[in-house]
Amino acid sequence: MAHFADTFRTAGTIAGLEWRLEWRQGHQLAAVGLFAIASVYVAFQASDQRTGPAAWTAMLWLVHLFSGFTAIGRLFDRERSDIRRYLQWTADPLGLMLGKLFHALLTTTALTAVVLGAFILFLGWPQGLDSPGKPGLLVLGAWLGGLSMTTTLVFVSAVASQVKAGSGALGAVLGLPLLLPQLILASRLTRGALNDQPWSMLVEYPLFLGALGAGTSAIACILFPYIWRA
Amino acid sequence: MKGTLNWIWKGGGILLLAYVILWGFSTPLQPGLVSCSPSQLGLDEETITLTAVGQPFARDGEVPEDFNLVLRSGKQLLRTEVTAVSPHTLEARVNVPPTLPTRGLDAFLLTPTAGTLFLGNACFVEDAAKGDIPAAMALSKPDDPTPALGFSFPFQPNIMESIRNLLWHVPMWFAMFFIMGLGFVASLAQLRTDSAGWDHRAEAAVHTGLIFGLLGLATGSLWARWTWGAWWVSDPQLNGALVTVLLYSGYLILRAAMGDDDRVGRLAAVYNVFAFVMLVILLMVLPRYTESLHPGKDGNPGFNSYDLDNSLRAVFYPAVIGWGALCYWMYTLRLRMNRLAYRLLTQ
Repeated sequence: MAHFADTFRTAGTIAGLEWRLEWRQGHQLAAVGLFAIASVYVAFQASDQRTGPAAWTAMLWLVHLFSGFTAIGRLFDRERSDIRRYLQWTADPLGLMLGKLFHALLTTTALTAVVLGAFILFLGWPQGLDSPGKPGLLVLGAWLGGLSMTTTLVFVSAVASQVKAGSGALGAVLGLPLLLPQLILASRLTRGALNDQPWSMLVEYPLFLGALGAGTSAIACILFPYIWRA
Repeated sequence: MKGTLNWIWKGGGILLLAYVILWGFSTPLQPGLVSCSPSQLGLDEETITLTAVGQPFARDGEVPEDFNLVLRSGKQLLRTEVTAVSPHTLEARVNVPPTLPTRGLDAFLLTPTAGTLFLGNACFVEDAAKGDIPAAMALSKPDDPTPALGFSFPFQPNIMESIRNLLWHVPMWFAMFFIMGLGFVASLAQLRTDSAGWDHRAEAAVHTGLIFGLLGLATGSLWARWTWGAWWVSDPQLNGALVTVLLYSGYLILRAAMGDDDRVGRLAAVYNVFAFVMLVILLMVLPRYTESLHPGKDGNPGFNSYDLDNSLRAVFYPAVIGWGALCYWMYTLRLRMNRLAYRLLTQ
């Protein structure tokens, strides 16, 4: 039991450290926000300001996906190398993973709010709908989809950070195919929410997304100790 | 002793594959009806032409006495008169009654040699009023003939001759699962022992499995074009298959990106364990809980229903063993290459 308490204490410390790092090097957060809002503006201009629900969700998920890459892709190699070595030798790997995961989930929550907010501000609600749909479910879908995406991205960036040459590009190459199932489920859920499909048709998507996210985080936590001190 | 055993499973696998290819392509398909023209019938005497595939069921010109074409509407049967037969078509005259239980008519062709051929919703009678077929035109249920078809593959509407793909597409995916499972075990062992030997096994398994995955995708795409009308459709099973193949390509890219880094075995093993868990989720769990066109998922008749057919079973099981043996053979060759490369590198 003492071991688990230790792990969670490490997780808390790491999450706090990440949080402080985020605020001190403010440019990281600002860069992600800038990227997200700029891509939404590109989508707004490219769609000629008239967007049906299908194109709306497609653009939402493209923006969300690439903002997610920007935010999470470098999660494991942004400390200075001496701090990294210190963590490698002192911190419990599972605690470290949990801390990073918690931080990534918080970041994604903020990112979802920024992306969705910018979408509604610039593009407005998609056109050609008979009813406003299910706005609550749309928000839930964007958030859950983002979280599910993030758990995979955390694992992929942990693997890619071990590769010396060009880990950023490698993260994108390995991450995209892994994210396809989550993106398919999430875009169906949000499109269904916009089109006001009945609950009985939509209820399976949040369940699948949650299960996929929980599953990937569990595997990531089991496997992470093997790569961290390799 | 070991050499003899190796010779037996390799030679046996190739012989089985030769048998599968030979019998798979030379076994005739059972005859079946594919279309009926015209598809819309008026309310008087009409002549309909049925087209069939498979073994020719008649010689030109002669109209066999014991051919019997029956049309079914609801639960009632309608009498027809066969007027002409060619190897692949059959003409019949039918007196369409003014009242029918349903507008769609199913066709049953009873033949002494080929058995009963069935075509659902062969034609429609738009103007028929709802009601019973007049007694003069109705027919009681004729006896089912007992044909002697010989060794032949079952006729399935839409699938038809492409049923032979069952001997390629399905065993290829089986072989891929098998070899990827082997790679998964090797990667687990690699994580426990951290030895180069297990890493060589895992790499060889993924490399071979990927080839079979690509072959499975290609044969599946051909089948989809024939039965569903498109080379690729958005379907949970197909999405899962594509993601799996992309994922394992990522494994090779990861190895290539690391070059001769010492940690490549450990990192690749971690990625491979993750990839195999995703394979199980994507190909075996998710498609069963969502709507899918693919046989065997979502309550569709799987290849279980073909499998029950003894003629297919006699070729399908050897195909599974044969492709599996070939796959394992390819794996051992790749494994030998990995070991030789490693020896050259460490000398």
